[in-house]
Amino acid sequence: MRGIGPLCGEGVIGMPHGAKVWQGGLGCEMSVWKYITQSRFWKSIYRNPYPRDRRTRAMVVLNSLALHLHPVRVPVRATRITYTWGLGGLATWTFVLLTLTGVFLMWYYIPTTEDAYWTIVKLETGVMFGSFLRNMHRWAAHAMVIAVILHMTRVFYTGAYKPPRDFNWVIGVSLLLVTLLLSFSGYLLPWDQLAYWAISVGMEMGGATPLIGKQVRMALLGGFEIGQQTLIRWYTLHVIFLPLSTILLMATHFWRVRKDGNISTPVYEDDDEEKRRAVERRRQARG
Amino acid sequence: MATDAQRSQATGQTDDLLRTVDEEELKPVHVWPRLVSVELIGALVMTLLLSIMAIFVRAPFYRMADPELTPNPSKAPWYFLGLQELLLHMHPALAGVIVPGAVLVLLGAIPYIDRSKKGTGIWFYSKKGVPITIFSAIYTTIWNLGLIFVDEWLPAGDSAGIAPWLKMHGFSDAFAEIFVPIVFMTFIPFSLWVIVRRRWQADIRECMIAMYTFFLASFFVLTIIGTAFRGEGMALVWPWEIPYPPHGKE
Repeated sequence: MRGIGPLCGEGVIGMPHGAKVWQGGLGCEMSVWKYITQSRFWKSIYRNPYPRDRRTRAMVVLNSLALHLHPVRVPVRATRITYTWGLGGLATWTFVLLTLTGVFLMWYYIPTTEDAYWTIVKLETGVMFGSFLRNMHRWAAHAMVIAVILHMTRVFYTGAYKPPRDFNWVIGVSLLLVTLLLSFSGYLLPWDQLAYWAISVGMEMGGATPLIGKQVRMALLGGFEIGQQTLIRWYTLHVIFLPLSTILLMATHFWRVRKDGNISTPVYEDDDEEKRRAVERRRQARG
Repeated sequence: MATDAQRSQATGQTDDLLRTVDEEELKPVHVWPRLVSVELIGALVMTLLLSIMAIFVRAPFYRMADPELTPNPSKAPWYFLGLQELLLHMHPALAGVIVPGAVLVLLGAIPYIDRSKKGTGIWFYSKKGVPITIFSAIYTTIWNLGLIFVDEWLPAGDSAGIAPWLKMHGFSDAFAEIFVPIVFMTFIPFSLWVIVRRRWQADIRECMIAMYTFFLASFFVLTIIGTAFRGEGMALVWPWEIPYPPHGKE
């Protein structure tokens, strides 16, 4: 039996003093921790020990799917709230919250004009945490729109859209559009008065497209008026197409952040000035 | 500990870029734990605030959709109320499609107009950045509010507004609803650009700051007016005069 569990002292199984593990004593609790973290299973997940020195702090970022979006090291300023306000991260996090609460809502929601409204009534009154999670989904959606607009504003006023980050700014503008569409497409789904009339205002606007107004209206409504076809179109956009587009755009956005030199640091000269200075330096060096 | 100011003196630079970023601030630190902890705290605070809000504030849910019962006013979600506000003042094709489309294209075009990388990573770029931002915000707000008020109250026979007034004086619909709004919407940013260039000798980046501020301030003003100051028949009213609940009487 020995050798299976390298636990407190000499191992727990069959050892009389092994009982100490559960009875307290810091040393022994630490050993439980050690038992877990030294198991083959744990090590197969986390390849390096808890990051405490330079090497392991680099390794933890490089070896983790979630963390490898970051570089290993960033300027102190990137960690300051007053530079980025964490807005891009918060927008991403609201998207995660929206996905989680959204899946929960999908368990109960039925996208038909007869059922949609009543499934939400049922969700609000008869489902544990139903009302809480629906509220959360709604407020997180508004929070995401606000976070995205503020993030864009932060990036603008810090000049962080400038080359080489120019194309990533364009992706960011697309993300703004997709965020607005995500929020707007979700607006119709409760099928209450607010939803119905907000969408009809939106359709009026879309229908005013020059030259192809009728076609646009038809495509958005799936018919001549808001009905079952409209609901299913907007539902599909809301739960599949737009989230997938967002994920794809976000992945590109984050990847480009890394490829374009990570978080922006101050640049005081444009290319011409830099070149001129370099030429000057070379001339001085020649004497 | 050389500050940027000292460094700029040493290199003999004379431009007026804001050099508020300390060299110390650019020293690299490990993402773990410095950045990861900040991100974790941010996510936790956000989750906590949203949870508290979800507990205490119910998401709006009115009675079932009824195509027969048009609420007055009928409004889009708040982030489109700026566009809905525009809809009151111009041709629907302009307000609903062309203006938002143009805004998106122009936003995307910003880095291709302002192509220099000078000023990256500096809040408000130069010493002129903040004054230009403040001036642009005030200038835009005054124009927006002025036009909204004139378009609301300019008497034109039975109705009121700039387009009805023009039509009353024999101008065509297209002139009143398309041409004139386009003139205003281009004149305001154009005049702002000219003022900023003359008054501050602004470079391209500073002009861009003026343009983005024009966009942002317009978005704010129109959204706030559309959300809180438009009541029955989309008439200009005080926020407490807007009928509630919005779908009419139960």
